[in-house]
Amino acid sequence: MGAVLWTDKYKPRTLSEVVGNEKAKSKLLEWAKAWKEGRIPEKKAAFLYGPPGTGKTVTVEALANDLGFELIETNASDFRTEAQIKRVIGSAAQAASLTGKPRMLLFDELDGIVGTADAGGLKAIMGIVKQARCPVILIANNPWDPKFRPLREMCMMVEFKRVGKRDIMKHLQRICEREGIRADRKALAFLADRANGDVRSAVVDLQAVAQGKKEITYEDVAWLGMRDRKKEIFRVLGNIFHADKCSRALAAVKEAEVDLDMLFEWIYENVPRAYKDPRDVARAMDALSRADMFKGRIIRTQDWGLGRYITTFMTAGVAMAKEKSKPGFVKFSFPERIRYLSRGRSERELQMKIAEAIKRRCHVSTKEAREKIMPYLRVIFQNNPEMAAGLARWLDLDEEAIKFLTADAKRAKEIISLLKAS
Amino acid sequence: MMMWTEKYRPKSLDEMVNQEEIVARLKGFVKTGNVPHCLFAGPPGTGKTTAALCLAHDLYGPEYHNYIMELNASDERGINVIRETVKTFARSMAMGKVPFKLLILDEADNMTADAQQALRRIMERYTETCRFILIANYSARIIEPIQSRCAPFRFTYLKPEHIAARLKYIAECENVELLESGIGAILDVSGGDLRKAINTLQAAASVGKPIDADVVYSVVGHANPSYVKDMIEAAMEGQFLKAREILRDLIWRYGVAGTDLIRQIHSQIFKLDIPEKWKIRIAETIGEIDFRLVMGANEEVQLSALLARLAEYGQLMGRGG
Repeated sequence: MGAVLWTDKYKPRTLSEVVGNEKAKSKLLEWAKAWKEGRIPEKKAAFLYGPPGTGKTVTVEALANDLGFELIETNASDFRTEAQIKRVIGSAAQAASLTGKPRMLLFDELDGIVGTADAGGLKAIMGIVKQARCPVILIANNPWDPKFRPLREMCMMVEFKRVGKRDIMKHLQRICEREGIRADRKALAFLADRANGDVRSAVVDLQAVAQGKKEITYEDVAWLGMRDRKKEIFRVLGNIFHADKCSRALAAVKEAEVDLDMLFEWIYENVPRAYKDPRDVARAMDALSRADMFKGRIIRTQDWGLGRYITTFMTAGVAMAKEKSKPGFVKFSFPERIRYLSRGRSERELQMKIAEAIKRRCHVSTKEAREKIMPYLRVIFQNNPEMAAGLARWLDLDEEAIKFLTADAKRAKEIISLLKAS
Repeated sequence: MMMWTEKYRPKSLDEMVNQEEIVARLKGFVKTGNVPHCLFAGPPGTGKTTAALCLAHDLYGPEYHNYIMELNASDERGINVIRETVKTFARSMAMGKVPFKLLILDEADNMTADAQQALRRIMERYTETCRFILIANYSARIIEPIQSRCAPFRFTYLKPEHIAARLKYIAECENVELLESGIGAILDVSGGDLRKAINTLQAAASVGKPIDADVVYSVVGHANPSYVKDMIEAAMEGQFLKAREILRDLIWRYGVAGTDLIRQIHSQIFKLDIPEKWKIRIAETIGEIDFRLVMGANEEVQLSALLARLAEYGQLMGRGG
């Protein structure tokens, strides 16, 4: 059930499903159409290049599918010596397909073609391109490697750029919809940011956090995102807390590839650990409080340019707060708030469920239910099983809710058995 | 078994023994079969929601649920609820002999300004088919144009003797022994809030002993632990990390809202054993943070900044580190 990779499951089947890189796609489509219509283009091969996960291979597959080409492909998992390439593809480049479909040849992952094991491979590919009577497509991450120079001159170069954040988010959103997952926009934005233009890695991340869930929130993804970046965060924190100039504290962030919201949480958590003098702590917390106000302003006005003030206050503001403290070695702690948010969720959901039950019966808001009625319910559930059982029936509370209100397994059992007895 | 607040909630205006003037006016509406848009304003536990439900009952009879819609603005405060749910209800024809339905909008002061603007038009356009009863703690938070469309009703705290009488009546019906000292204690902790008083009574009754002052205070102590006080003290003794821990418990485990916390902190400050001029200085800081709470994105960060200030003041006062 979980064995299917979402990168496969949601691989685009047609060109229109491939996100981003519109220019490259249309350039390629035009070129392939010419082949299809029997006009042999000036360049018989297209060389697709760009960073991983930008859709080069899927574009070719979708293109072949859309235009009805039979795709014949080799990639880095195949041996690609001269002999092998000639055997697998050489004939295909000439003859028409048995199925009657025109053919398209794809040499994927050319970066992986190795001098010794794949001896003569590139030479064979050049030979095929020269004599090709069907479209040939080459793919590599870095086309500027000297070994590709002769090939480059023979090919139409098509650049694939990092895919924009919005396009990645759209793609992730589509997957979530198909999987029946409610996704927080901020969570998707975080995944898209982290992917840095690589759609595939974004989908891999999404599957890792979202599979089997009904909902993903920012906290889910932020928590995951931290693990591999802990060292980086520690370094940045050290630089900020030790900075003696604003510019140093600011630079500490610029150099680092860390999520700013997450960095804020780390700083907020560790200010009282880095600084000892209460006056310094108060000044640093005041800087964070000011940064937070700009966050609020951004939420209300959507003016993202204000973000620079958040950065200023949370780095330079915090750094300049220290007059008395000289932070030495600080043992940084993981942001408790993030931990609370990700752990406490089930508890809060339960609380909300009980509040909803109270709301239905008592003509109050869920907030009032939580603050003004639930405390008394707790007292009753902890003191009086009969009264509690009666109220549990009246409010239609389940066993989980009863356990939550009693905070005592034995008491809860007593109440539940009373409920069942009647 | 029900919550006693619901079991003993008056069903009809005749059963309402408090807010006499208001009840009399509402009875007048029932008599004429006509109700204007109303704004019920006043502190919690003074009978606003009860009065609205009683009015509906007396107007439409025991099946009044079919003619009214109850919405709580603090749960459904967005403009979409107003534009969709409220509008759909308001524009549909009434089915009974009363030509209009009632929409009871509780905690209306929690509505956003946008939603209130949208509501204003709907109130005007669908007056024939729907009358609104807005319920609010603070009428000032309702925009002027809506206020001017509503008949205002100002609910006041119940008198102690009225609350005491109600408590005695309930205790008798429930066969609970309620002692004079217990009544005094409940009045003390509940102010003029009848709902709080009845909830306290029920929680005290659950202990299973005759209800005296000790029982009441121990129950209230459990229901409202002194976390806020502990938090302030920890901060002022220079234990900022401990204070922040308590803050997190309050926000994340107990779900207390930031604005409520700051209100509680504010009232605690004046009970502290510190020089008087410092109380004013702290109050000023609290006010600043209260403002930032509204401006900011994250309550915990703002309240932590306040705790850090308290720790600083604590040191300056020569307390703690």
